[in-house]
Amino acid sequence: MFGLFVSRRLFFRYRDLAPQLVPLDYTNNPDVRLPYQLIGSMPELKDNPFRQRIAEVFSEDGEGNMSLNDFLDMFSVLSEMAPRDIKAYYAFKIYDFNNDDFICKSDLEKTLNKLTRNELSEDEVRMVCEKVLDEADLDNDGRLSLDDFQHMILRAPEFLRYNHSLYENHTVELCIGCLCFAF
Amino acid sequence: MSSVSEPLVRGGSGRTAPKRHKSVRKNSRRLYSSYQNNQGSSDDEDKEDERVESDDPEEMFQNIQHQKEIIANIRTRPWPMRRKLKVLKQAREIVLKYEGRLTRTRGYQTAGADLLKKLSRLLYNIVVLFIPWEVRIKKIESHFGSGVASYFIFLRWLFGINIVLTIMTGAFIVLPEGYLQYSVLFYGYYGSVRKIGSAGYRLPLAYFLVGMAVFAYSFIILLRKMAKNSRLSLASASDENFTFCWRVFCAWDYLIGNPEAAESKGAAIVNNIREAICEEQEKKKDTSLAVLISLRILANILVLLSLAGSIYIIYFVVDRSQKLEQEKPELTLWEKNEVSVVVSLITMIAPSAFELVSQLEMYHPRTSLRFQLARVLVLYLGNLYSLIIALLDKVNIMSSAISVSSSNWTEPSSFLATISQPEVMSTAVPRNISTLATDATMLDPVTTIRGSVAVSLSNQTSVFEKNKQDQCWETYVGQEMLKLSIIDMIFTVASILLIDFIRGLVVRYLSDCCCWDLESKFPEYGEFKIAENVLHLIYNQGMIWMGAFFSPCLPAFNVMKLIGLMYLRSWAVLTCNVPHQQVFRASRSNNFYLAMLLFMLFLCMLPTIFAIVRYRPSQHCGPFSGQEKIYDIISETVEKDFPLWFGKVMSYVTSPIVVLPALLLLFMLIYYLQSIARSLKFTNNQLRLQLQTERTDDKKKVFQLAAARLQAPEPPAEVSTEQQDSDNTSHEASIQTPSPRRNGSVTNFQSPVSRGNSIRTIAQSASRSELSRAGTSRSPSVAMLPKHRLEHRPWLSHSGHTGHSGHSGHTGANSSCRSKSHHPVVFSPRYSDHMTSAPVHRKTIHALHPVERIITAPSFSGRRGHTARYVIVNEHEPRKHLLRSATRLPRHYVMEEPAEILELYPRNFKRYTARAIHHQPHLHRAHLSQQNLSEEEEEEDQGPSTRRKMPLGKTLRPKSLSDLHQPAHFYIGDRGESHCSRAKVPYEAPEEEEEAWEELQRKAPQAKVRGAEQSVRSRRGVSSSGRCSHHVEVKAKSRQKLEAPLTESDSASVASSSDQQNSSVDQYIQVIHNKERFVKAAARHGKLPKKKSKTTFDPNVTEVNDLVCSNV
Repeated sequence: MFGLFVSRRLFFRYRDLAPQLVPLDYTNNPDVRLPYQLIGSMPELKDNPFRQRIAEVFSEDGEGNMSLNDFLDMFSVLSEMAPRDIKAYYAFKIYDFNNDDFICKSDLEKTLNKLTRNELSEDEVRMVCEKVLDEADLDNDGRLSLDDFQHMILRAPEFLRYNHSLYENHTVELCIGCLCFAF
Repeated sequence: MSSVSEPLVRGGSGRTAPKRHKSVRKNSRRLYSSYQNNQGSSDDEDKEDERVESDDPEEMFQNIQHQKEIIANIRTRPWPMRRKLKVLKQAREIVLKYEGRLTRTRGYQTAGADLLKKLSRLLYNIVVLFIPWEVRIKKIESHFGSGVASYFIFLRWLFGINIVLTIMTGAFIVLPEGYLQYSVLFYGYYGSVRKIGSAGYRLPLAYFLVGMAVFAYSFIILLRKMAKNSRLSLASASDENFTFCWRVFCAWDYLIGNPEAAESKGAAIVNNIREAICEEQEKKKDTSLAVLISLRILANILVLLSLAGSIYIIYFVVDRSQKLEQEKPELTLWEKNEVSVVVSLITMIAPSAFELVSQLEMYHPRTSLRFQLARVLVLYLGNLYSLIIALLDKVNIMSSAISVSSSNWTEPSSFLATISQPEVMSTAVPRNISTLATDATMLDPVTTIRGSVAVSLSNQTSVFEKNKQDQCWETYVGQEMLKLSIIDMIFTVASILLIDFIRGLVVRYLSDCCCWDLESKFPEYGEFKIAENVLHLIYNQGMIWMGAFFSPCLPAFNVMKLIGLMYLRSWAVLTCNVPHQQVFRASRSNNFYLAMLLFMLFLCMLPTIFAIVRYRPSQHCGPFSGQEKIYDIISETVEKDFPLWFGKVMSYVTSPIVVLPALLLLFMLIYYLQSIARSLKFTNNQLRLQLQTERTDDKKKVFQLAAARLQAPEPPAEVSTEQQDSDNTSHEASIQTPSPRRNGSVTNFQSPVSRGNSIRTIAQSASRSELSRAGTSRSPSVAMLPKHRLEHRPWLSHSGHTGHSGHSGHTGANSSCRSKSHHPVVFSPRYSDHMTSAPVHRKTIHALHPVERIITAPSFSGRRGHTARYVIVNEHEPRKHLLRSATRLPRHYVMEEPAEILELYPRNFKRYTARAIHHQPHLHRAHLSQQNLSEEEEEEDQGPSTRRKMPLGKTLRPKSLSDLHQPAHFYIGDRGESHCSRAKVPYEAPEEEEEAWEELQRKAPQAKVRGAEQSVRSRRGVSSSGRCSHHVEVKAKSRQKLEAPLTESDSASVASSSDQQNSSVDQYIQVIHNKERFVKAAARHGKLPKKKSKTTFDPNVTEVNDLVCSNV
């Protein structure tokens, strides 16, 4: 109902991924989902080691298959306009591989392995995990809660530019975040 | 998800709440919670809306406000789009619906506001479209990451500054003076006529003021930007160290959308993490080789030498060019430009040389990068400074030359600079004359000569052309700067083309016909060296600042240059560069760039200021010709163009009387602000610390609460333990073999060891308790064993024991945890203790020492000492009755944590009798009691705990222990020993123990009887009833009686738990057989516990043989 005139460009972006699947007419809110294979092959995501996680987190079914809403969601969170809290929240979700609302050791290991493409040895991974927990785990429960994570991530200088608009021609998309909610 | 988002949402409503009415707040709570709870069900939400409906206009208005807030804040909620839309739609509908009912004007107002908002958004979008090079930068960013992009952003920012500078100089100096000509570029062109045109534009004044304003503006804009940056990055102020976290979680640059960049980024991340690991390891050892040190010294010497060399070369070149100028009438192109060419060459070559040198040093990349940056900066500064000093030196010589030799070739009048314009000439002549007039008043020795020259001026003009530069030193300096800038640009272009483009071409197209891999070995592709490029930009800007005063059009030129550079660089980067391997982060270095720029600005301003203050302006050119000092223009203006009083005021203001106190005041102010900043920083740190401790305290409190809750059952527990003691002892004595090792086994619940398992264990045992409650008359523990084994090793072994002890005993702590606590509760039974204790037990048994029970205490070994940790629970009470009846009194601990509160309750569900025949009655009772218990549990979930034990023990027993201020005790029953049937479950204890066990068991019957009698005697006057039936009776009855009071005490203790937190955390009780163990245990907790425990439990110790209770 809003897709056509507000986030036109994003919509077309979405549609271009699979023109045969996505109808032009969204007035009836058709239940269309693009499979993860298509989403993950977008230039913005295809080189991202966490692309699958990103797709999973933002998709409603948790498997990376995205409806238009999910797609818009993803771009709104990843746009420059999104507040840092939200970014932190979703970053947490992205790193929380097993969806247990905590980043535990196994999540950390996964993160590291994805990030470094398994180039670190097991010892190194273990050590880094320990250090990470050591630094950020304020309540000493051996895993990072959302609070811990936010406390840490919001202080990161990189986080200012973290996740910062995925879309390279962001001039219009940049404002999608606020546009599509306001109309 | 809702559970996670709850705090966020709450926080949101809480923040906005104070503004509003209470009822609305309630409404909002309701609404928020409705939104968050019923994610999908719109029905509920609708209901909520209905409820919100009300006719009270005030409330309605508030409701609307609230809905609007929802609309405004919806973007900040981590909800999926669908939900956002739904909520948004609803809120809008409500707003629309009710707004009509309120006054119409209000509706218009909001409509207007909406429109305005939309417009502003549209405008913002349009503005974004017009940000120069945004798309280009984004493209680069997506290919190379934010680091490279930061260079371009910096470039763009500099471009903006230069635009402003250009406008300033253009609008106030260049345009008023006339048409744009080549000569407009320089100082010498501008006339010194005080007023131009009919409007009376005061050019000299404008010139001076703009010159100063350029610096002022640059300073202000720089400082503001820096302040903004540092405000944005909290990290720069905080000392918090999240090195590893940031390296892991913030490592990936989400802007990268190019496989090559992704790959190099990945490599960089690996390097980075390895680096961090190395650093971490290196922190401990500090080994430095002599070779390395000498290498570094050598490298530094080399760098210093090259710096000194470059400075000397520049000085030499300037000197040479000066001589050449004086000797030769016509200079070749090379000779004219050799200074700038040499300087540019040095700036190009030296950084690479430094890089080579830094490889010698073998610092790790980040340090070497810093060294490199510092050296290059020093080099650039050195270049600029030596150049300017050489120039000023020349100026000095020039002015002395003027005074000496002005007799034969003088009159470097300003119009000579503009000699090509005849029409200017005419104006210049009177100007000169006026200059001369002022000169005459100053009694300058040159004046007379000048006067004569002025007369012959008209026919000499062509002769002076050559000398104009010499005479107008400001123009000369400006020219040099411009030349430098131009040649620098040429060199930059050349280097981009040569080093990047040609190299890229060669590497790409010749790699096939070459014997080694060009792309990965020697020439490779050029890297985009962010740091050096940024430094180059800074250097360039420094040049502009340095020359801006003498060449007003330099900023304009720089604008052109930057535009060209932007396009060229971005093209080069995209076509023939690969991202730099060393990670030089954008945002972290942003302020670093700016700081360097500021430094540069300051240092570049100094020579200008120095020249302005120190040197006399050229007498015959430029706006200040004829004045003693350049800044005289100010005083002159004040004198002539302002009312008299203003001049007086100014003279007062500038007099030392005012200036000195003002300076003093400034210093004081600076000091004051500094101290405020320091104290703020301090409080900041304090707050952070507080935050941290509070967070850990929160967790602590949870445990403390749990512990405190356990204090309630404590007194009964004590009693019961005592009773059990006696009980046990009697039995044990009677049997003579109360399975010492079981008794001896200590279960330590130690958190850090295996945290992960704890929850599972608890939960698991919960299920077990559940089951047992269900009333399986046969020992449920056995039934559950397989499960245990599967899930948790420690428990397994316990149950193993249990199994061994047979059906007689239902063992194992039945603890249940009713919450997904993420508490580091760990139950890791300590087997070693258990093993070692065996011999001791045997001894005690021989001595017929009755007490073999162990209650192990909570051992608190917090990780980092922050959190409280646990509770050991192990209790053995072989409840043996006469006639070899062994009733087991399992204690069940419920660990409960609703809302993160952990509560531990010993629970007593059942007793199981080992031998069915003998224990029929008991069994029956057990069932009864179980029944009671379950009923009670329904009433209050928090278990009737050890208090139930009380009835089991001897009620007559004095509560000696509880009178001793005994802290909370936890008994999780792991009682093993029934002397009865052999376990079918594999038993994990060592063989010998088992043998002993068997032996003991064989002896059991007689021994028990005997022991019981003895123990009765030995106990301090407490009669332990020997008769089983009697005993059970008492239990059954008293249990019911005691329930009520105990519950009270329980709740009371909960209420008081907050007070007791501190103490309770650290409380633990350890009841151990022998000193040795005790010492061990105490050592774990420091010495204090030892002492205390001794004092507190003296009676106990003496009385009950080796029983030691330690209390911290």
